[in-house]
Amino acid sequence: MNMASASPDNKSGQSAETRKILVWDIPIRVFHWLMAGCFAGAWLTAESESLRLLHVTLGYTMCGLVAFRIVWGILGTRYARFSTFVRGPKAVARYVGSMLRGQPEHHIGHNPAGALAIVALLGLTLVVTGSGWANYNDIAGKWLEKTHAAAANVMLAVVIVHILGVLVSSWLHAENLVGAMIKGRKPGRPEDGIRSAWRSVAVLMLAAVVGFWWLQWQDAPTGDGFGDFQTISMKFRDDDRDED
Amino acid sequence: MHTLSLSRFSRRSFAAAVGLSALTLANISQAATPAELMAGYTAQSGSPAVVARGQQFFTTRHGREWSCSTCHGAVPTQAGKHASTGKSIQALAPAVNLERFTDSAKTEKWFRRNCNDVLGRECSAAEKADVLAWLLTLKP
Repeated sequence: MNMASASPDNKSGQSAETRKILVWDIPIRVFHWLMAGCFAGAWLTAESESLRLLHVTLGYTMCGLVAFRIVWGILGTRYARFSTFVRGPKAVARYVGSMLRGQPEHHIGHNPAGALAIVALLGLTLVVTGSGWANYNDIAGKWLEKTHAAAANVMLAVVIVHILGVLVSSWLHAENLVGAMIKGRKPGRPEDGIRSAWRSVAVLMLAAVVGFWWLQWQDAPTGDGFGDFQTISMKFRDDDRDED
Repeated sequence: MHTLSLSRFSRRSFAAAVGLSALTLANISQAATPAELMAGYTAQSGSPAVVARGQQFFTTRHGREWSCSTCHGAVPTQAGKHASTGKSIQALAPAVNLERFTDSAKTEKWFRRNCNDVLGRECSAAEKADVLAWLLTLKP
């Protein structure tokens, strides 16, 4: 079943004219990997005060990224738009059922289960960053700290399910979904591809993120308040001096 | 009719009373005075707290970039400043800031976080008792 050359694909009717088409525009891909990196970084710095500014900066970045994603989900390219991939519970159940039978329905864009993970992650990001912002500014009490931690834990669980789903789907479809989120291309019919990669929008988004990081860095008390990084760079400087 | 509504009312107020007392109990179980918390840590460590050792512990570094006083100040009767974010930190001495060390869960949470930053491990009960003993000697 997984040998695409030997058997016809279950649904999309892949034929000889199938080749790699552009599915994910660049803003989507940059968004995805920035989110992944920020979430991992924020998770790893959650228990530290010396890395607190880094933690907060990564969280605010995620919030801004989600705001962008919501706009791009309305204005963006075909497979980026919510209207093309957000499906009801029935579609999700049908997809998961087909996956469990080992013959998952084929979707060029997000499959219904992946879509559910996306919507959950976008919503959870807003809960986590909103409660984190309130905690950081001493607005509410203990219950909000607990909300922040609990929502972050749920988010990690969804991320794990999402990663497992990607691996299982990649295996069942004999299709590298991770590679597709890097290069933007998947096998498909030429007429199903998107026309523009929207590099300009991705550049603007990346510039906004880097600019925000730079501002945070400038506002930090020591001129570089990302805590241990200062220590690390100072150690390197000391090492250099020793070598001289 | 009348009795019915009355009984419904009393049932509801009973439930409210149970809920309220449960809430109060939960609060009581965490509420404490700084002296009680110190006594708890002292009992845990098995030896009396030493004020001078607490001050020494608080103001010196322990092989890492920060000491406690990096953010809280050498004499924490005044507001400190977070060394990473620059945000103001309210005074730590209970005599100045009545909210400090009145919630065991909150105290534990912040000892855990901050000891991890300063020492790279959790603080022992003896260390916590020493620091708290010193903080309790500070007057505005």
